Amino acid sequence: MTTTEVPTTLIGTDLSDDLASASLALARRFHTGATLWVISPQWEPHAHHVAVEFVHPVLMGKRALPSVALVEPDPVSQARVATRPGDVILAVASADDVQVLDTMRRTPAWGAQTIWIGFGARPPAGSADHVLWVESDDPMVPATGRFVLMYHLLWELTHVCFEQPGVLEVKTEDSTDEVCVTCSDEGRLAEVVEPPTPDSTTALVRTGEGEEPVDVSLVGGVRPNDLLLIHAGAAITRIDTTEGLA
Amino acid sequence: MSELNQNTDFLYPFIEGTETDVDALLTDLAASARGKAEVSARLQQASLEEYEEDLRAAGIAMSDRFARGGRLYTFGNGGSSTDAATLASLFCRPVRGRAVPAWSLAADQAVVTALGNDVGFELIFSRQVIAHSRPVDVAIALSTSGNSDDLIRALSEAKHRGLLTIGFAGHEGGSMSTSEDVDHCFTVHSQSIHRIQESHARIGFRLWSIVQEETERRVADLMAAGSRAPGGIR
Repeated sequence: MTTTEVPTTLIGTDLSDDLASASLALARRFHTGATLWVISPQWEPHAHHVAVEFVHPVLMGKRALPSVALVEPDPVSQARVATRPGDVILAVASADDVQVLDTMRRTPAWGAQTIWIGFGARPPAGSADHVLWVESDDPMVPATGRFVLMYHLLWELTHVCFEQPGVLEVKTEDSTDEVCVTCSDEGRLAEVVEPPTPDSTTALVRTGEGEEPVDVSLVGGVRPNDLLLIHAGAAITRIDTTEGLA
Repeated sequence: MSELNQNTDFLYPFIEGTETDVDALLTDLAASARGKAEVSARLQQASLEEYEEDLRAAGIAMSDRFARGGRLYTFGNGGSSTDAATLASLFCRPVRGRAVPAWSLAADQAVVTALGNDVGFELIFSRQVIAHSRPVDVAIALSTSGNSDDLIRALSEAKHRGLLTIGFAGHEGGSMSTSEDVDHCFTVHSQSIHRIQESHARIGFRLWSIVQEETERRVADLMAAGSRAPGGIR
């Protein structure tokens, strides 16, 4: 009977490489004081399982690490307040989860790295720093233990990295996620904290580096939580935050 | 071979020692992930094969209770409490098939902390069984050791009250596997808490599948009987 067959390859070569990279990145972030925030709007228990895994390790002697499940009805607002630059946000969700898509879109402005666990159709390229994906369209996947295996392995490999302190230090030139953009041509993502007062064109925004004032006369009419692309002290364009909404 | 490699390091001074370490580590991590996943898959398959007959018996008994208005309570501690919640969701909010009433007894923090504080942690689930249950209901407890006191107490209370009692255990099965208060015990033979939990998920999913098949068969029989006897199936 087909329902009693467990797939023989639960983690293939590509996925194992992705897990390895994600684990090292996560260990490095923990090493510099990160908290791991976990969201799973459709499957809340998975968020709790990830958090308890890191906070209360099943193996004696492994260090307790800060991880919290964010399970309120609006995970975007909850993650926005919780996240500090350097933190990591992990989502367990399908690729069309609008709350997770919105969270992922904003994380560069919050200075957070991201890991996305899911199944079925993959999220758009670049949606998250690390995508750990079960290549199956079976709608029952979330209840078969495959996500549990995935975050168990993430936890296990992260702790393997801690046993090799030499790999935890990241030199700036080796880093791909903390590129200095001060003088480059790139724009930086920013989220509006305080819109301008009526007699001003300066808004206070939040970027991966912290809060800063920017001129918004080019984009106009900004509201709190709007996403902007900023360059050389000015907002140059507004980012569509409804993308991906059906 | 490794001796050769070691002796050629000085020829490549531009390669950072740490960079080599990182590449080697990533290779090791990936291989480790695949190895552990294979162990998990084999253990899941072996568990399903070992318990297929008993899973079928438990699933049929559950389906019968749901047909008579029974509800399902699931419970566990820590990671197993979240797996219990996933299992409850599978029954009450399935992507396909018939939904039946089910919930995790760890879900309400007001109830859990009130009981833990006032009467003791070992009673957090059994007191809820006393409050909620009727004889037609079903209790499923998940424990990787098979020994958690709060679970054992709740299973005993449940059995005492006529519920169908099911235990998911690990290691050697603990007291769950020998208790007369547990109608069906599925022990995953592993020493790894992670691998046990992964097999628990698979066993729970199999149990749900059997209940669904059984429920579909029951519904089809009822409808066939109804169409043979105009005027109703009663």
